[in-house]
Amino acid sequence: MRLYSFRYIIPQAFKSLKLNGWMTFASIMTISITLFLCAISWLLVVNIDANAQQMESDVRVSAYISQSISSEDYSALKKEIEAIDGVDQVEFVSKAQGLSDLEKRFGGVNLEDTLGGNNPLPDRFSISAVNKDSVNSVAKAVKKLTGIDTVRYGEGSVEKLFALTDTVRKVGITLIILLGIAAITLVAMTIRLTVFARRKEIMVMKWVGATNAFIRLPFLLEGVILGVIGALIAVVLVFICYNYAGAYVAGTISFVYLLKLGDIWLNILGFAVLAGLLMGAFGSFISLIKGLDV
Amino acid sequence: MLIKTINVCKVYKNGLEALKNINLEIDGGEFVFLTGASGAGKSTLIRLLFREELATTGQVLISGRNIARLSQRETVRLRRNTGVVFQDFRLMERNTVFDNVAFALKAVERSWEEIRIRVPQVLEKVGLGGRESENVMHLSGGEQQRVAVARAIINHPLILFADEPTGDLDPNTSLELMKLFEQINNDGTTLLIATHDKEMVNRMHRRVLTLNGGKLVGDTVGGWQL
Repeated sequence: MRLYSFRYIIPQAFKSLKLNGWMTFASIMTISITLFLCAISWLLVVNIDANAQQMESDVRVSAYISQSISSEDYSALKKEIEAIDGVDQVEFVSKAQGLSDLEKRFGGVNLEDTLGGNNPLPDRFSISAVNKDSVNSVAKAVKKLTGIDTVRYGEGSVEKLFALTDTVRKVGITLIILLGIAAITLVAMTIRLTVFARRKEIMVMKWVGATNAFIRLPFLLEGVILGVIGALIAVVLVFICYNYAGAYVAGTISFVYLLKLGDIWLNILGFAVLAGLLMGAFGSFISLIKGLDV
Repeated sequence: MLIKTINVCKVYKNGLEALKNINLEIDGGEFVFLTGASGAGKSTLIRLLFREELATTGQVLISGRNIARLSQRETVRLRRNTGVVFQDFRLMERNTVFDNVAFALKAVERSWEEIRIRVPQVLEKVGLGGRESENVMHLSGGEQQRVAVARAIINHPLILFADEPTGDLDPNTSLELMKLFEQINNDGTTLLIATHDKEMVNRMHRRVLTLNGGKLVGDTVGGWQL
């Protein structure tokens, strides 16, 4: 293929896109929707993963102090906890402090007013373990101490998050495969229409001795353009939605940690453009397998 | 021998036997008419010769090569050495004269500089000099056929096949087109023209191959046989 042939091939591909306006539009939209859902599923999975990992590395045991003991005994109790094997640090959290922490996590809601001026939270010790494997044994030992009512350390919640990631991944993949097939079929149909509309030119090209590559390349390029435009639309939509979601989450449920768009935008853009390009190229390829040989 | 067919038969999928046992030879530089009534097999033979279709049995040889056995690359080379003109011109209606002719050069990947020089030259040769920018649909039938001829000869083919090129043209215009074909033949291109224009064939006094019911029934120099 000679370089100056692209002066014919590239404009030809764009002309064809204009020629089948509605099919072009439908193909681009299907690719956009497919890649949009793909990117959203991926974002859900990576964010849930990130949250699960953060939770796992940051598990603290909350030991709620029984109301039957007086606050003078707290320091003795703290010493007892510190003496347990595997305990790293012990921090006292008063009921007032606990309520204010909770208010912060729910985005600054005034819980005390909502609860009619009562604070139902008990005082507690927040205990960190030397490593995540000793969390379980620390919790058990703390629970046995006199003066400790209940012990919580988020048992099972990390596993639940990982299970959620798995479900999101499975549903996402199924949706993406189905939509991907639809998108590729639409691209193939669009290219078929172009081939039909330009059958006379194709015949003339064959008669005068054009090569297979020269005849096929504009159609292949047409598919690739459909894919890349679809991908770019999807990326813009994903960025807008993620920004809104980020702002919403930060303002309402601040304990959920969202990955910053600045850190992942290149992954999304790169993946979407590559996937769009491949879908478009594959769509045109299957429509060109038969019928265009010289 | 430039063109040779050996026992060529063509049977279509619907069972129609379009050509039966065709044996013919055409030398380089000849000007040959292929005549016969409608349905005699003229168009089928032309299609076999430029490899639009393949013979069911028998061989078609161009420059000694069996064209059924050509690789893709060799087929491309064969096509670059043969030009084709049809009764219905088969031009790209929305395009200009220049674009229609230039298309044949673009398709074989010639540079823009070469296209700019050669298109006006070939248009001059077919009598359409200075008409480059006109839309082909604004031309008369004879002029449109000249555009089709220009497109077919711009790559300097060794052979030019024409399938009923004067079918849609009036007698005067047909005669002018024949003169153009003679001129192309004088430049060294071998011509095979399928026609049922009896008057034209008689007037030209060239070699005449006659097909009847798919069989080659005559090969003489002079005039119409049937």
